[in-house]
Amino acid sequence: MNAVTLDHLSKTYPGGRQAVDSVSLTLEPGEVFGFLGPNGAGKTTTVKLLNGMLTPTRGSLRVFGLDPAAAPEKVHALSGVVTEHAQMYDHLTGLDNLIFYGALFGLDIPESRRRGQKLLAQMELSDAENVKLAAYSTGMRQRLSLARALLHRPSILFLDEPTSGLDPESAQKVHAMIRRLAAEQGCTVFLCTHQLRYAQEICTRYGLMEEGRLLAQGTLESLQARVGSGITLKLRLSSLPAFLEKRAVSLGEHLFALPIRTENEIPELVRQIAADGKDIFHVQAELPTLEDIYFALTNRPKETL
Amino acid sequence: MRSSIFNGQALAIIKKDIAAIVSNRRMFLALLIVPLVLTVIVPTVFLLILHFVPEETADFQKLLELMPIESQPREMPKTLINLLLNYFLPIFFLIIPVMAASVMAASSFVGEKEKRTLETLLYGPLSLKEIFYAKVMASFLLSMAVSVLSFAAMLLVLEIESGLLLGFLAAPKVTWLLIMLLVSPAISLIAVTLIVRFSAKAQSIEDAQQSAIFLLLPILLLLVGQFTGVLLLSGWLLLALGLVCAAAAALLLKRSLHRFQYETLLQ
Repeated sequence: MNAVTLDHLSKTYPGGRQAVDSVSLTLEPGEVFGFLGPNGAGKTTTVKLLNGMLTPTRGSLRVFGLDPAAAPEKVHALSGVVTEHAQMYDHLTGLDNLIFYGALFGLDIPESRRRGQKLLAQMELSDAENVKLAAYSTGMRQRLSLARALLHRPSILFLDEPTSGLDPESAQKVHAMIRRLAAEQGCTVFLCTHQLRYAQEICTRYGLMEEGRLLAQGTLESLQARVGSGITLKLRLSSLPAFLEKRAVSLGEHLFALPIRTENEIPELVRQIAADGKDIFHVQAELPTLEDIYFALTNRPKETL
Repeated sequence: MRSSIFNGQALAIIKKDIAAIVSNRRMFLALLIVPLVLTVIVPTVFLLILHFVPEETADFQKLLELMPIESQPREMPKTLINLLLNYFLPIFFLIIPVMAASVMAASSFVGEKEKRTLETLLYGPLSLKEIFYAKVMASFLLSMAVSVLSFAAMLLVLEIESGLLLGFLAAPKVTWLLIMLLVSPAISLIAVTLIVRFSAKAQSIEDAQQSAIFLLLPILLLLVGQFTGVLLLSGWLLLALGLVCAAAAALLLKRSLHRFQYETLLQ
């Protein structure tokens, strides 16, 4: 059974804005899926549809075979959700919050406490377990939210911008935890983010969204093959040989970028440059990143993401 | 539905909501002060007047003549105390639970919305029905607790004062049972259900409180006014009216459970 199935899923808000436009995709259990795009691309709406908070205008969706619009509480029982808008109680301590949410999911207090303390340790929050949430920083709150979402050992995690508002170090920490937990618990992860660079570090497959439409989906390799731009070879040479003058772009003093199709071209190129009498100081092959792929697909300038 | 009404998960919400009020000292005191003033201070003042300035009671004599109650002049203090206890104070117990509940009920949904904890609660494995039910029950149980506490404090203070100052004990009538076990809970449940519904639609706590005060209070005062008359007439009529209110409360709660959707709640 698929963990998630979206079939021509569309959502138009009462005001007429179409947030999700005929999106179809499937997630296998255990996948770490990156659902990527800028703000307003339809990521949050999709998460809300997947949890039954919104009902689809057209199309259908299933989470482990369940229809979230018809049986949202059954979907909630096997999913953990982290979103910017799903906060916890400021007047309770970190651990008391987890104990409350444990009870909400039917765990008894000793079990909630045991699991809560273990998760707090994993999230490096043990020192703050008896501190009221009001005193938590944004990064601590995000990590506690992650602990809360994992408390009932969900089969699938929906993470909507889990690192928004975090400094790079905290974001790195949260991402490392997501990666580790996904591997340890075999939990399916549906990660929405506009930070493509981070997503590339932890996801196994991607869906790229723009204005409610799914532009492309697949593994990094398949997406790289799809945009077709191949590899950029970065070279630092004493000077550019004449035979490359038309193909290479200068990036600065002695630094050149050269588009090539496959890695197999590299040895011959290096031999030719050396034969031409130039000194070679540095050769680096760069594959297109997710960002490169996204911009190639959308023709957007990079600043928009 | 019934089997899941008092499951541990709904109970967790009820406990959490009540604990939040009780741990907020300012709110909790506000919740207790008005009931205690009504049920302890008011009868005490009445008793003190009766004891220290008995000449003032001539006015009460006129009042007694208007009431369908028989009394003999020499037993007047006793009659007055029993009048106070059995016909005047019960009205407070129609108002107190509504007031107590409204504080908590008004913030039930919109309070969580303002603190951005509502969405988290909705992502739990409870249906909207169960969450709504838990919210209603939390406010209802708190209001009943305040009501019972006020009753105990009132009876204790009244009996002690009456015994010490006037030399006899007041005699509560059996209608008190009807008031505390039927009428007061029924009216409270109607108020709580309506206010929680306001709270689910409101955009701010103030919004919900205003709806509660301007839409609900006039209706409740009207209801209370009717009961004041009924109290004087007969216990059977009180029972009948109490049952009607209880049925109305049950019906209202049942219908309200089906009204909500995530989409409207999170708007």
